[in-house]
Amino acid sequence: MNIKIYSIPLFLTIFSIVIIYLSLQLETSPEMIVGDSMQARSFPIFLMVINLILVGVLSYQFSKTYPKEVELEKFPTWSSMLLFLVFYILVTISGDLFVAIPVIMFLMGMVWGQKKLWVSLTNAIITPLSVFLLFDYVLQVRFPRGWLTNIYYG
Amino acid sequence: MIEALSAMASVFTDPYLLVLIFATTILGVIIGVLPGLGATTGAALLLPFTLTMEPVQAIAVLSTIYVSATFAGSITAILINTPGTSAAAATTFDGYPLAQKGEAGRALGIAVVSSTIGGVFSVIVLCIAAPLLARVAYEFRPPEYFALTIFGLSMLASISAGGAVKNLIGGIFGVWLSTIGAERVTAIERFMFGNYDLYEGLSFVPVFIGLFAISELLVQSKMVNRVVNAVSLKAVKLPTKEDYKKIWKTIVRSSGIGTFIGILPAEGATVASMIGYSEAKRWSKNKEEFGKGSIEGIAGAEAANNSATGGAMVPTMVLGIPGSGTTAIILVGLMVHGLRPGAYLFTEQVEKVYQIFGSMLLANLMFMAMGLYAARLFARVSLVPISILWPIVFALSVIGAYALSQSLIDVWIALIFGVIGFFARRHGFAVAPIAVGLILGEMVETNLQHSLKMYDGQWWMIFAQPLALFFLVLAFLGLCGPYLYSLIVKRKD
Repeated sequence: MNIKIYSIPLFLTIFSIVIIYLSLQLETSPEMIVGDSMQARSFPIFLMVINLILVGVLSYQFSKTYPKEVELEKFPTWSSMLLFLVFYILVTISGDLFVAIPVIMFLMGMVWGQKKLWVSLTNAIITPLSVFLLFDYVLQVRFPRGWLTNIYYG
Repeated sequence: MIEALSAMASVFTDPYLLVLIFATTILGVIIGVLPGLGATTGAALLLPFTLTMEPVQAIAVLSTIYVSATFAGSITAILINTPGTSAAAATTFDGYPLAQKGEAGRALGIAVVSSTIGGVFSVIVLCIAAPLLARVAYEFRPPEYFALTIFGLSMLASISAGGAVKNLIGGIFGVWLSTIGAERVTAIERFMFGNYDLYEGLSFVPVFIGLFAISELLVQSKMVNRVVNAVSLKAVKLPTKEDYKKIWKTIVRSSGIGTFIGILPAEGATVASMIGYSEAKRWSKNKEEFGKGSIEGIAGAEAANNSATGGAMVPTMVLGIPGSGTTAIILVGLMVHGLRPGAYLFTEQVEKVYQIFGSMLLANLMFMAMGLYAARLFARVSLVPISILWPIVFALSVIGAYALSQSLIDVWIALIFGVIGFFARRHGFAVAPIAVGLILGEMVETNLQHSLKMYDGQWWMIFAQPLALFFLVLAFLGLCGPYLYSLIVKRKD
């Protein structure tokens, strides 16, 4: 038996069971508030029961024919996801979206095969700068204060 | 009627709207020709930019992106055999072979004319059908709305990507996402894990940016080593009299098919173009030309995919049930700007509704001009290296996710849903059902609660309401019909 076939149904089953468990932990409301309607836990449980039935059908389908996975370039895909993590760390340290965005844009350009350093660098500086100015002047969006925005906002 | 027509006409005389729709059409065509971006990602990225606009202007921007990007997908489909949007996939079957024969200009001319006629036809149907449907919807009570949303969710089974079961699982996941936050009646906190930023539930905008834009970024990473072979194009040629004689019936048929398919909840331009193409082939006297550069094939696919855009706006605006990922974003745009979709929109905000329809009509005419005079230029945009394009998409996604609530948690939500969307797509699950489920989730739960209160907890009374029963039967047939039919056919055999 090919276990890989059942990895997705298994994941979905575990997910559904966890949600049912978490739903059962929710408080119940007094009768005078809920009345003849349903408790807050009922709807998610109902959804997950339907999900489990669908997962059963999916497992049956997978046992007949297992679909192809989307092919991907391993390095750019996984490193892009890693860059999301780096982005989170940079924002947390600097407190500034406009420190993190250019760094990630530059690195992403390089990871995705840009051979000319200056092209990636120019893109990483000009794009966030123009978007920042557009949002600041036209849409009047205030961005979180950090290393760079502190200088700009004063 | 006169009021409606004058509201539509006001769009054509408002210089600000004219400039806005013109600029958005250019942007929409650029988005459409860039492989991977498409109408849905484009609308998700542009939604935050519409925040400070008036409601009509904002929806005009989003719907213009919808129609122009849907059309523009055909430019790259014909010139580089890569559909800019999935709706243009059927255009590659005959568009690219015709372009290879040195008739790229003719192929594009037919695509432009067919798309425009299809688009204009569907807007006319939208203007007539939407108010009629609104009159019926005016009588809906919670049981009918509950049944209608169940019908809308059941239609997810037939969305083109993924499979029926996978789409339904995606839809259920989306509905579950709508339960995150404080429950509306009892205020009991569900699945928040102590995070009070989620008290009012997940915001649609960051989730959509994640599902559509960021997940697409990750999916596109497989295109890093893509080599593009572009076909040369001198100028776009309008169809000749002979061409018109050959394709007019196909255009009319596909416009009707596309509009009808668009109106069905959860169906969209991709399904419409495939059916439009296959019907064009079925009715053609020159079936052997199909796949080798048939102009009927191009007209059939293009008229159908663009007419689906107007059709898809009917359930979106009248019933609040989006037909696709893009209409789901337009629906969110309506809500963000205080226009609650539904029957009341057609009684209380009728002028705005017709201005939106007018702007869609204008967008259809504008992309015709762009297609005829600037297709060659736009085709070059598709050659932008992805190592420049997708970092820009990343920046726009992150800033767009932040902009609506000016909260960093929305940025993290967008990134998380980007990764979830990527893994879902990698295993063959489409992301549009998750988005539609998220939107419909609140409607399902709230209307079920109200229905239960109305009938003192007797849930079976929902089945006693004729309209509700009608929608539930439709939902059942939509889900089980194909299986029952194949069973009957097997028995007969």
